[in-house]
Amino acid sequence: MNRKKKESEAMELSRIDDILATEEELIPSSGFLGAVMESVREEAAMPAPIPFPWKRAVPGFVLAAGVFGWGAVERVRLGVPAMKGISLVAPRLPAVMVQPMEQVGWVALALGASLLSWLLSRRLAGRSGLL
Amino acid sequence: MTETLNSAAAKNAAEDRADVERVLAGEVQAFEGIVRRWQGPLVNMAWRYCRDRGRAEELAQEAFIRAWRGLAGWRREGSFSTWLFALAANVFRSELKRFPTVNLPLEKAAEPAEPAGQHGALAAQLCADAVRRAVLALPMRYREPVILFYFHEMDLASAARTMGLPEGTLKARLSRARGLLRRRFPQLEAEQGATEFAVHNAGKEA
Repeated sequence: MNRKKKESEAMELSRIDDILATEEELIPSSGFLGAVMESVREEAAMPAPIPFPWKRAVPGFVLAAGVFGWGAVERVRLGVPAMKGISLVAPRLPAVMVQPMEQVGWVALALGASLLSWLLSRRLAGRSGLL
Repeated sequence: MTETLNSAAAKNAAEDRADVERVLAGEVQAFEGIVRRWQGPLVNMAWRYCRDRGRAEELAQEAFIRAWRGLAGWRREGSFSTWLFALAANVFRSELKRFPTVNLPLEKAAEPAEPAGQHGALAAQLCADAVRRAVLALPMRYREPVILFYFHEMDLASAARTMGLPEGTLKARLSRARGLLRRRFPQLEAEQGATEFAVHNAGKEA
């Protein structure tokens, strides 16, 4: 039974192989070569893409990294003594007040970062003549 | 194909290399030699991906333009044809993902009709068309190995190189694809059996 199945599968494979292997050859149309070469010539005639201005961007990146790094260091530096002073019994502030106070800092930081990146991108784009 | 892909690739290797060098040196016109040599295989390869002549030429053209842009990326240790076919397969795959051809699901692919004796050739042609269209209804994961395996004249290694897959993986996918096709066209088996029976009987009678 198993042998019969295997034989029939092999037979079927050869039939499918026959069909899929004997594909009629397609001849490209007469204008194909010309069309490809025309596109290639257009590509070749196009000006080279404007490279990213790494030389101008690197100082910006370094500055941004410095600012964020300094911010992080300051945060840790101020945070450590503050941690020492924390008593186990935290002052009980109403929850309505605590949450906005925590979020204000993050919102300010996000706004500052957005402003900085906007100014930087504007400056870069302006120099490259895009604005 | 009249000339096998592998022998064509070997014959053209030196010319391809020379043309690539000239193109990279700034001679745009040298790319024509590459297009002239490989337009047939690329259009045929694209045809197997979409079964639409106009679309096949568009896809092949896009592949040539991408090859032009990325010519400097061809590392000389591999053959140019391997690089070109792999690039073309990527182009065809991504373009057909963006704008897919209208394919029926495998279950709805037309089954070949019962071959009538007097229309044997026509029936065989219809049956072959149905099987080829059913390949396009396979999931892409199984479709591409089938397309490339038969495009490369059943050379598993070449098909695997074009797909950038290990041979074992390709073999497994191919086997699964064949299983799906076999399940879809069970009567092909019966038909083949009947043909063999008829040939056997005819031989006996003679």
